[in-house]
Amino acid sequence: MNFDLSDEQRALASAAADFFASAASPSAARASLDAGAPIEPGRKAIADTGFAAITVPESAGGGGGSVLDLAVVAEQAGRVLAGPSLVTAARVAVLLDGDDARLAGFADGSAAYAVIEEDGGPVLDATTADRFLAFRDGAVVSGSGTVTDREPIDATRGLADVTLGDTEVVSADAAARWERALHVGQVVLAAEGLGTASKALEVAVDYAKQRVAFGRQIGSYQAIKHALVDAFVGVEQLRSLVWWAAWTADESPSELALAAAAAKGTAAVVLEHTAETLVQVHGGIGFTWEHDAHLYWRRAKVDRFLLGDDVDAFDTVARLAIAAAS
Amino acid sequence: MDFEDTPEEAAYRATVRDYIEAHRGELMSISEGGRRSMDLSAAKAHQALLYDGGLVGVTWPKEYGGQGGTQMQQAIVNQEVAKAGLAGLVGVIGLGMCGPTIIAHGSDYQKSRYLGRLLRADDVWCQLFSEPASGSDLAALRTRAVKTDSGSWRVNGQKVWTTLAHVADYGILLARTDPDVAKHRGLTMFVVDMHAPGVTVRPLRQMSGVAEFNEVFFDDVEIPDEERLGDVGDGWRVALTTLMSERLSLGGGGTDVGASLDAAAAHVAKRISELPEDRQALVRQEFGRQYAASLATRYTGYRQLSAISKGAMPGPEASAGKLAGTKTGRALADLGVRLLGKEGVYATTSDGDGRWQSSQAGLPGMAIAGGTDEILRNVLGERVLGLPPEPRADKGMSFNESLKLGGGSAGGAQ
Repeated sequence: MNFDLSDEQRALASAAADFFASAASPSAARASLDAGAPIEPGRKAIADTGFAAITVPESAGGGGGSVLDLAVVAEQAGRVLAGPSLVTAARVAVLLDGDDARLAGFADGSAAYAVIEEDGGPVLDATTADRFLAFRDGAVVSGSGTVTDREPIDATRGLADVTLGDTEVVSADAAARWERALHVGQVVLAAEGLGTASKALEVAVDYAKQRVAFGRQIGSYQAIKHALVDAFVGVEQLRSLVWWAAWTADESPSELALAAAAAKGTAAVVLEHTAETLVQVHGGIGFTWEHDAHLYWRRAKVDRFLLGDDVDAFDTVARLAIAAAS
Repeated sequence: MDFEDTPEEAAYRATVRDYIEAHRGELMSISEGGRRSMDLSAAKAHQALLYDGGLVGVTWPKEYGGQGGTQMQQAIVNQEVAKAGLAGLVGVIGLGMCGPTIIAHGSDYQKSRYLGRLLRADDVWCQLFSEPASGSDLAALRTRAVKTDSGSWRVNGQKVWTTLAHVADYGILLARTDPDVAKHRGLTMFVVDMHAPGVTVRPLRQMSGVAEFNEVFFDDVEIPDEERLGDVGDGWRVALTTLMSERLSLGGGGTDVGASLDAAAAHVAKRISELPEDRQALVRQEFGRQYAASLATRYTGYRQLSAISKGAMPGPEASAGKLAGTKTGRALADLGVRLLGKEGVYATTSDGDGRWQSSQAGLPGMAIAGGTDEILRNVLGERVLGLPPEPRADKGMSFNESLKLGGGSAGGAQ
């Protein structure tokens, strides 16, 4: 057994950390929210690095990598609240698999896809998309769409309502493909959540080491220390589920549905808890618009509802586990 | 990343499995292995037989009778023993804590006298650390060892929560030899003969009704100086070796806390259909959350095991696994009892099943033993997150001075 990242994956994480830290930030997220500034790094920049197309086959201009590779990168994107989401990239790669012409357009950044989860629902990365993938009558279809902007909680997610226009079939008889895309998307969403949560924890811990009250650093008080430790334990638990779930996507597809739901639901809970802790540990300053805390918090409050909420996810875990034991 | 055995691991696993299979009839099963009710000679024979097959002392150096193997091999043995439903080892404390401490700090005489017999369970060992007035604050312990004119040590005091003391032949004893220096600096470790005059062992009944551990009284117990383990005043450093080994032996490696996850799933699967639909949804929600949390704990254990197998030392991170595993274990036990419906008010169901009620009553102890949840949070906060320590009112004081602080008159024995 070797449940650890490879040296190549660590190098990939390091390269991704360098890129995302220079190309996106909580400040950029605030500017998107405040003034409608472009979401950073943006589709083109992410496509240019090759990160968006990690799981696209080399024959279509992608990296030919694994879901775990993509998850490792997604964690780094999550740390700096980058957008558009690699969740969309992960799903597109599955939904267009075998269609090298379309995939090549996605890989080089010339085609800006978003995936319509369900009709009438919010669509991730819609505000920067120019074409949409959806599931119609058992087929994956691609088409234009009319985007209706809504007031965002987290502008980096590019969420909007979409009315699908004319479509053409990309892949018929594609129920299994649609489902796999959802599961892989859940894994990558959890990986982004892992990055956001671990960064939020670091910010909170740093503050607890500096801020003094009653003559002591507040991190010396058990009330603060234990809250931070509970967040830390949650982040480490989540890391294990993200890695395992990504591994099942690549190596053990029969376990993917359960693993993806476990990772997705845990990410929702852990990120929300960590972000709430971040705000609380900062006290009044953590409640200001100027501070970054609310930007992580916003990501948490939005992500928990994407690709099913935590209640859906844990219900799925239970149903699958009960079925396996019956 | 992979979860399969390497060829070497697979070959080792096959050897272990074959040995267990070949001796299945002579080995004890888990139902026979309760610590209080066990047949001691059978438990000793069980361990000796496993030792003969190389399944005990897997990671111990060969020169002390061990196999010189890896932590991964130990994990494989643990997994196969659990899979076969074999009883635990009567030497669990000796193997996990006392032996490694002797290997690290013992004299040549102590190593040759004790280690071989410990491995084969010729002798059973216990660990005498906690006291009524010093649990979490272990270094504040009060049991005194005073040097006599003849050069031996005379010990008086009381220990508590001592697993296996009622059948133990020896123990490692942490005692205060100098009360006029800071509490951590006035301690010394000894090997104590549990059959020596003045040693009294009394079983201690837990809230679960089971009596798994004991309190131990020392009244003028004489210990020869050659049984001192490490230098005078170096007991705290020696104890840290023991606690580090404990961390490793409790190190999880992905095993479930409380009832196994499979058992919990089977229980839910059996009971859920008897419930009205609104209740079923609630059960699925709680079970799904705890199932995911259990998987997270399992895979966190695998991560640690992978790191250790590459040569990393088990660090305080292992405490995170214990915190999370305890929490989930308790929640699953609670769900297990709730699923019994009104029968949950009784200690066993009408068909004689008391597993969930036993878990419910036993698991609060997991949040206390081996470091309370609160102490583990301090350890993680300070050693892993680097947060500043809680101020200590007894800092810079000698042990005797610290007794004058609040609570100092509480007394040892009660």
